[in-house]
Amino acid sequence: MSVPLDAPTGRSAAGAATATNLLEVVGVSKGFPGVKALQDMHLTLRPGEVLALVGENGAGKSTLMKLLSGIYQPDGGEFFFEGGPFTPTDPKHAQESGISIIHQEFNLMPDLTVAQNIFIGREPRSGGFFLSDRALNRKAGELLRRLELPLDPRQLVGTLTVAKQQMVEIAKALSYDARVLIMDEPTAALNDAEVATLHSLIRRFVTPQTGVIYISHKMDELKAISDRITVIRDGRYVDTLDTATSTMGDVISRMVGREIDTDARPENVRPDRPVLLSVEGLSTRTLLKDVSFELREGEILGLAGLMGAGRTEVARALVGADAVTAGTVRLRGEPVSVRTPADAAALGIGYLSEDRKQFGLLLSQTVNANIGLSSLGDRFSSAGFVKDRPMRAASREYVESLRIRTPSINQTAKNLSGGNQQKVVISKWLLKDCDILIFDEPTRGIDVGAKEEIYRLLNRLAEEGKSIIMISSELPEVLRMSHRIVVMSEGRVTGELSAAEADQESVMHLATLRPDENPEDAAELGIQLPVEKDHA
Amino acid sequence: MSTATAPVATTAEKRTDIRGRLQQLLAFGGLIVIVVFFAVANENFRTFSNFTAILFSTVVIGVLAVGTTFVIITGGIDLSIGTGMTLCAVMSGTFLINWNLPLGLGLVLTVLVGGLIGFVNGCSVAFLKLPPFIATLAMMLIAQGLALVISGSAPIYFSALPVFSKISTGEIIPRVPNAVLVLVVLAVLAAILLNRTLFGRYTFSIGSNEEATALSGINVRKWKVLIYTVAGLFTGIAGIMISARLGSAQPATGQGYELQAIAAVVIGGTSLTGGKGSIVGTIIGALIISVLNNGLRIMSIPQEWQNVILGLVILGAVYADMARKRTA
Amino acid sequence: MRSRTSRVGAVAALAATGLLLGACAQASDSASSSSSSSASSSSSAPAVSSVGSSAGSETASAGSGSASSGSGSASAGSSSSGSSAAAGMPSPTPMSGGTKPLIAIVSKGFQHQFWQAVKAGADSEAAKLGVTITFEGPPTEADVEIQIDELTQAIAKKPAAIGFAALDSKAAAPLMQQAKDQNIPVIAFDSGVDSDIPLTTAATDNKAAAAEAAKHMSEALGGKGKVALVVHDQTSASGTQRRDGFVEWMKANAPGIQLLEPQYGGGDQAKSADIAKSIIAANPDIKGIYGSNEGSAIGVVKGVTESGVKGITVIGFDSGQAQIDAINSGVMLGAITQNPVGIGEQTVAAAVAALEGQTLPKVIDTGFYWYDKSNINDPKIQAVLYK
Repeated sequence: MSVPLDAPTGRSAAGAATATNLLEVVGVSKGFPGVKALQDMHLTLRPGEVLALVGENGAGKSTLMKLLSGIYQPDGGEFFFEGGPFTPTDPKHAQESGISIIHQEFNLMPDLTVAQNIFIGREPRSGGFFLSDRALNRKAGELLRRLELPLDPRQLVGTLTVAKQQMVEIAKALSYDARVLIMDEPTAALNDAEVATLHSLIRRFVTPQTGVIYISHKMDELKAISDRITVIRDGRYVDTLDTATSTMGDVISRMVGREIDTDARPENVRPDRPVLLSVEGLSTRTLLKDVSFELREGEILGLAGLMGAGRTEVARALVGADAVTAGTVRLRGEPVSVRTPADAAALGIGYLSEDRKQFGLLLSQTVNANIGLSSLGDRFSSAGFVKDRPMRAASREYVESLRIRTPSINQTAKNLSGGNQQKVVISKWLLKDCDILIFDEPTRGIDVGAKEEIYRLLNRLAEEGKSIIMISSELPEVLRMSHRIVVMSEGRVTGELSAAEADQESVMHLATLRPDENPEDAAELGIQLPVEKDHA
Repeated sequence: MSTATAPVATTAEKRTDIRGRLQQLLAFGGLIVIVVFFAVANENFRTFSNFTAILFSTVVIGVLAVGTTFVIITGGIDLSIGTGMTLCAVMSGTFLINWNLPLGLGLVLTVLVGGLIGFVNGCSVAFLKLPPFIATLAMMLIAQGLALVISGSAPIYFSALPVFSKISTGEIIPRVPNAVLVLVVLAVLAAILLNRTLFGRYTFSIGSNEEATALSGINVRKWKVLIYTVAGLFTGIAGIMISARLGSAQPATGQGYELQAIAAVVIGGTSLTGGKGSIVGTIIGALIISVLNNGLRIMSIPQEWQNVILGLVILGAVYADMARKRTA
Repeated sequence: MRSRTSRVGAVAALAATGLLLGACAQASDSASSSSSSSASSSSSAPAVSSVGSSAGSETASAGSGSASSGSGSASAGSSSSGSSAAAGMPSPTPMSGGTKPLIAIVSKGFQHQFWQAVKAGADSEAAKLGVTITFEGPPTEADVEIQIDELTQAIAKKPAAIGFAALDSKAAAPLMQQAKDQNIPVIAFDSGVDSDIPLTTAATDNKAAAAEAAKHMSEALGGKGKVALVVHDQTSASGTQRRDGFVEWMKANAPGIQLLEPQYGGGDQAKSADIAKSIIAANPDIKGIYGSNEGSAIGVVKGVTESGVKGITVIGFDSGQAQIDAINSGVMLGAITQNPVGIGEQTVAAAVAALEGQTLPKVIDTGFYWYDKSNINDPKIQAVLYK
């Protein structure tokens, strides 16, 4: 096995030569028909460190994880774990050997308790047959105390927040006496406080005998948590950097193989552009209270806020996916009634959900079927018959112009990478020729290069006169893209900023106002709280 | 948002297309193997009259299966088609014999009764949000009961209307019963409906991801009601076909037909979880069942074993199909 | 016994087809995760299974040849039809010669004990007379269409003769004609076929049998009290005859007996048990319950036992282990048994007699018996009871 010139630094670094590496990936390759997913991959995890693994979507991170957990078998190359060769046969074997993987999508059973989830498959028995809940809860309690996790073993997992569910996953992983913990995008659904909690948990876990591989897209987090950063690209090892001595620019340029040009912040849309959509006093039973804002022609309106602020709910209410209890929506000045997504689509309002797989895509259908879904009825059919030829031509056009990487428009959507799936969903609404597009987290789970493409696309659409509402949890993204930013907190609009006045601080200030709990915040916003609250 | 030139079909596109075709050929190949096996094994199997007998015996299950393919592609299930067919058969007797309506009117009304059964199913599923299994299970019982009530629990004979039987047993094409033609025509219509119309596209979309389809601006509830209604129309036609074949409307028959129809659909490669399926596959599935039934009987295989073999074939066919999909 | 082994071979080959399909899919699945290659590799599955099947097919065709060669002798019997209703039994002589004629029997049921007893009678008579038979029936007595398919295929086998118990005579009429056109003699059994074509009908006189049940019920109750009927169905001939025979006898001969409206349990034990229990609940003064076939009678026994009420006279129909046990334990007073074994025997005997050109009576009464604790071990009764 020849070691390439740019092999990981672990072996050559001074002092590390004698220390055994915790986990080593040496020259591993894995191919699928038509795709070389991994080629001559290298990776070294030293004991006691947090190694960040970064790479664009499709770079080979998930394949590497699946190889490490034994879901796939490598075509070539070797793994070394704690000094010896390691050939995982299946996820259970990997886990019992001491390598635990926490996937982005949790493997938890919502109707079981925390303790039952942690010890599933290893339930303590009494008398060799009957399950002992007492022993189970005691064991789980001990584990959770040791890990300093604020969880009740008896609580049902389905009732926990995402952050706490993740803690359950971590506790489950650690209960196997894991020495290597691999986390895939662990903070995708966490707020800042939860991220901090997670990071302190990771730091507690790391001892001189253990290590963490931390897969993430979020550069600031890598800085905060990792010791070294391994960059992979197109299934190949690129470089490993010491976090302390490298900049994020270094990392990103290795990921994409090119420097990113950062566009200038957008100018405000001239106020003489007509108002296309105006929302007044929108409320729902569960969350939204008196949400009002306007959207002008050719404008990108950022909808900012913390997790749970109600941004997605605004989008769902606007397109009729959720019921509205009060409020008026005007389109070009005319009040409209949107009761179902079909009404919204007919009015030219398209919604691109944050959860593509659940709400956006037909995973088992072709790219062509997905792109055509919304416009089939009014543009590509006559008398109920589908006009296939123009439909397919349109699909091909979008595959080309959005550079959707797929062998053909007959490819099944589930076989596409996340970024390409997102482009398919975008194509669907562009083809529908909507005037208003609501993008909910348009770049979630999408690699850096593809992000840029999507940003350019949004700008182009706005220039063509489309109005865009962009919901995003990534503040830099909101600041960079939006002509105007509406900030929400706890289901209310807490402020509106022009591109010129908005910066991280001003947005965060508005996003953290809590008018319903804090009278001062309410006063600042001029919100009249309900009477019974005044008495309380 | 459009480029100047419309790209044409690529070779890769054609390749994926061919692969889809190949998968249907697979089921067809299985059918051919079984037919060849019986043809070699028994001289009485390989006669023209036996082949028409096989096709004839496929008609009722085939019509039901074709109709219910739509429902199954949406990820739903329709248990009411068996007894729904019985109710339609009884209604055809009521219209044509008891009420003496003109033949054409009676037939149309019968098919509409089927459509009504499907419409009610569709409303239960789409608007009351009942699980299809439960909604159609209830309809199965309702239809069974109504068939007995309306007929007075006695068969209605079409002796007074000999032309009625000709719908099934007449031979516009010599030596081919009309029932076979009806099945062929319905299958072609259904295939066009599934592959060439919005109705078909939305059937696949709903089965693939109902929520995403709704959010894409498609009135999912409306289409679901339509899909169940269409399945019901097929039920009505099946009711006509069975009573025309038997020369009587049998009020106690029909239970178990829904499972056979579902088996045919599943053998044909339609996924019970929705989003995948084809009419050609369903017809092949129905043929596989009737060829096996016919061939095993002709070879005088003891009846106990016939069911065992049929069960094994269903297991094998569905497993092969699933394995294929896992790797696809 | 060559044809028998060939059948076993065919069964095995077909069973292997199913398993092979699965196994090949498994192989193609694990061999590669490629979509394109999987399509081609799993397409080989049927090809492989055909190799497995062809071994069985050669021997199987030999067996079928023997069946068809017997059909030549059928023409002699089919032209003559039964001339009198005299109860003369056919008395065929054993067939001789190289190949055994095939008699294809299509009954009204299959897995039910009663039909298995008919099959046993047919089997033994066939062995005695040197013919082979096939015996088939639909899963339930409502499956008219399935029976029509079975009859179609029975004719396609070109048998020497056909035994047929019609679920619906009119639906079967075109096929009867087809059999006649092909000179295949048809013997009806159980509840006859409403057609001139069958040469004879071997059946129980259900009305007379039900009247016998009514007589015993009336005697047991001393001619007065409330009596209920749990009948297996209201559409078939046997259901209506066994209901009407019972009801008519009571009306004519037992004015003190008050009959409740008949209830229908589809011959299903559990459903009939529920019906019996609700009858008992609604009529605390019920004195007797009659179950019109095996499933109904066993259901009534269950219902009476579960309700815990004593002193209800139960009379059943047909046999089966559960009824025999109920009679021995005293829960059931007694039952009418048809002679299913005899039905099977007479059907085959009549078919062979027809092949030999004998004249057959229009109806062959296969008889019925009343049995209770006193005579249940009588060898004559034991011979017709099935378990």
